[in-house]
Amino acid sequence: MRINLSDDILLNVKKPAKYTGNEWNMVRKNPEDVDVRFAFCFPDDYEIGMSHLGMKILYHILNKREDTYCERVFAPWTDMEEKLRKNNIPLFSLETYTPLSEFDMVGFTLQYEMSYTNILNMLDLGGIPVLAKDRKDKMPFVLAGGPCAVNPEPLADFIDFFVIGEGEEVTNEIIDEYKVWKSSGESREEFLIRIAKIEGIYVPGFYDVDYNEDGTVKSITPNREGVPSRVKRRIIEDLDKVDFPEDIIVPYVGTVHDRIMLEIFRGCIRGCRFCQAGFIYRPLRERSYEKLLDIAKKSVEKTGYEEISLVSLSTSDYSKLPELCNNLIEYTEEEKVNLSLPSLRLDNFSLQLMEKASKVRKSGLTFAPEAGSQRLRDVINKGITEEDLFNSVKIAVAGGWNSVKLYFMMGLPTETMEDVEAIGELGIKLLDQCRDIPNGKSLKITLSTSCFVPKPFTPFQWEPMDEMEKLMEKQLHLKNTIRKHRKITYNYHDAKLSMLEAVLARGDRRTGQVLYTAWKKGCKFDGWAEFFDFNKWMEAFEECGLDPEFYANRRRSFSEVLPWDHINIGVTKRFLQKECEKAYKGEVTRNCSENCSFCGAQGYKTGICFSEQRSDQKNG
Amino acid sequence: MAKVLRFRFTRGPQLKYLSHLDVLRVFERALRRSQLPVEYTQGFNPRMRIVFGLPMSTGLTSEAEYADIVLQKDVTCDDFVSILNENMPAGMEILEAVELTGQDNIMKQIEAALYSIIIETDKSEDEINSMISEIFSQDELKVMKRTKRGVRPVNIRPLIYKLEAVEKGNNVFELIAFVSAGLDNNLRADLLMEAIIEKYDFNVKILSIHRKALYTKDSNGWKDPFEVSDGERCNN
Repeated sequence: MRINLSDDILLNVKKPAKYTGNEWNMVRKNPEDVDVRFAFCFPDDYEIGMSHLGMKILYHILNKREDTYCERVFAPWTDMEEKLRKNNIPLFSLETYTPLSEFDMVGFTLQYEMSYTNILNMLDLGGIPVLAKDRKDKMPFVLAGGPCAVNPEPLADFIDFFVIGEGEEVTNEIIDEYKVWKSSGESREEFLIRIAKIEGIYVPGFYDVDYNEDGTVKSITPNREGVPSRVKRRIIEDLDKVDFPEDIIVPYVGTVHDRIMLEIFRGCIRGCRFCQAGFIYRPLRERSYEKLLDIAKKSVEKTGYEEISLVSLSTSDYSKLPELCNNLIEYTEEEKVNLSLPSLRLDNFSLQLMEKASKVRKSGLTFAPEAGSQRLRDVINKGITEEDLFNSVKIAVAGGWNSVKLYFMMGLPTETMEDVEAIGELGIKLLDQCRDIPNGKSLKITLSTSCFVPKPFTPFQWEPMDEMEKLMEKQLHLKNTIRKHRKITYNYHDAKLSMLEAVLARGDRRTGQVLYTAWKKGCKFDGWAEFFDFNKWMEAFEECGLDPEFYANRRRSFSEVLPWDHINIGVTKRFLQKECEKAYKGEVTRNCSENCSFCGAQGYKTGICFSEQRSDQKNG
Repeated sequence: MAKVLRFRFTRGPQLKYLSHLDVLRVFERALRRSQLPVEYTQGFNPRMRIVFGLPMSTGLTSEAEYADIVLQKDVTCDDFVSILNENMPAGMEILEAVELTGQDNIMKQIEAALYSIIIETDKSEDEINSMISEIFSQDELKVMKRTKRGVRPVNIRPLIYKLEAVEKGNNVFELIAFVSAGLDNNLRADLLMEAIIEKYDFNVKILSIHRKALYTKDSNGWKDPFEVSDGERCNN
């Protein structure tokens, strides 16, 4: 069935081009000619989803196969949803306007917890039963992957199977198995049994969760044979050998990251103890700069984009950054393409780079010290000193920048009111430091605090999150600390939203009921302040008989079985515990390029863990 | 040697949901893909030297959009049209191009537009025609228009040059509207319809609005934007 959208609908919603597809480089195939139809779903608005690199990668990998057609589906904005529901039009794909329920596979990417209600809503809009147990033969399989899949439990009731880790290879294995299953005439369950044997696949229905009387998890055990007791995260060993999309879709509507994204490496050497990405993507693996240059040029030729951005967790840690940037800048200048270099640590070299690369107004620069005091920065293993920051900002100010934004987290483990004040004091000291340098008097500083949310697979996964009242008290206290300084502005995040994020991040399987109940009450687009309805969520907890504080604000013991213990991301629980204990003592851990801490990721036998061997091989 | 080309392009139904800003982006990216030698502005933030005739609101289709572009090198009109078309998305096509010599840019030249508005109504042909006669017999036709200084009434009657109705059967009519357009005194087709609907309590459903032509003007009257150039003309 091909959905037809009338002008009555399209001319009465905001940005109708979000719903009509047909963009440059959109893949066109005849659905009749393929064996597998795959709907890649991003559970948020088109403008957010089209900015997501992972979708571009998997769209490319799947569509490279002649036997498969991958199409895109996004969460319709509320004005569009209203029209779809009113006219009984199911949610559809942008490529062929096919209802979601007609696909073989419907895959969601889990980028942030606050998008979970949109998954339920999209399934419902697409005519697919929201609960996995209600799906019958001939209905699509619903899968999910992405960073939040490392704790899949809150979504276990809704998703048929999860893909843990990087998708480039395992996605092909799933499709191959699907074709075999489809021609075999076996039952729906048989397919799940088949793929549960693939490394990285987690079928929640094949695991039973038992609870202790105090509500903690007692055990998570496979309920049938041939299913692994722990599911190991998949990774790509050599990024140079895996396909990277050059012919990416060029949207008509402006999107959040409307540019070529050049992924220079995966993983991070830093090991900041609050950062989930710092652990779940280990080990660090780089793309070669020759390969990156080639990708950059071909991408510009195939898309016509006017901007390239380097993408990684920490640009400055790329081992061949000078070679890459000098060559890239030579090319981008010639082609009048902008180059943006996010998350650089600022030193003289990077300042020169930025001067050369971006011909934009020198407006704002951002730094992320994350904590105000040196003590607390040591606790979180953020390897940056006050002096580093002063030097960087001085370089920037002397170089013509006059507004600096500093990011912090509030509610970090062991944080005291002195640490909170130190955030304000850091801003004040920074103004003092810059007063006497040229251009320094015009400096304006913005301090921004988010609320620390403990995440699975970090050394702080056992930590309680600060209670909302405590966070608000700290926010108010900091506000008072800097009240007299007109050159300092202070912004802070909504503690209520963060609290809910904390519940879903470390939730167990029972939190799925809360999710379902909240969605039934109308919760969606929770990440958007205009739609977030805290009270509805609290009602949902109440109705499900669950206490949000049990998940958000409770300290777990190191011996507790965590809801995600059956997922093996490579980094060991033992290492995370060691890191947590070091945090309490304020001891820092050296980064992966200096020293191996044997976190467990060396088990993948690739990347930075074996970089010496690799260079030996090259030389030999 | 720099060379200035004026070209005409279409916008089909599949791309009618784009905003004017989206259309600008389509061209910038198509031009970069095409590797045609487009001239850039000097200065800190170089931009392609391309100027569009008249912004197009979301929902419109057109067979007569115009733009002027400056090229660094000599490219024939034929090559320009065919190379750019290879890089344009389906639904937008370059129809023809002409070399411009020493003229104002297209944005400054456009002074009128011709629209075909397809409507569905329970009114008869006679009723519509008498309504049109009445419009022309009066000096004023007011409508609320959103301007930079807020919503205010404007008299659009002097901006309507011609209005005709053609019956298409099944209660469907084509209104052909020849109206003022351009930098000064632009009358959008949807605003014209709004004014008529309001004033004559006209029960109507607008099925589509299509731009058929844009005009410039000189002492001899209305002219096709290509006629004001002496350059050689070519088409696709």
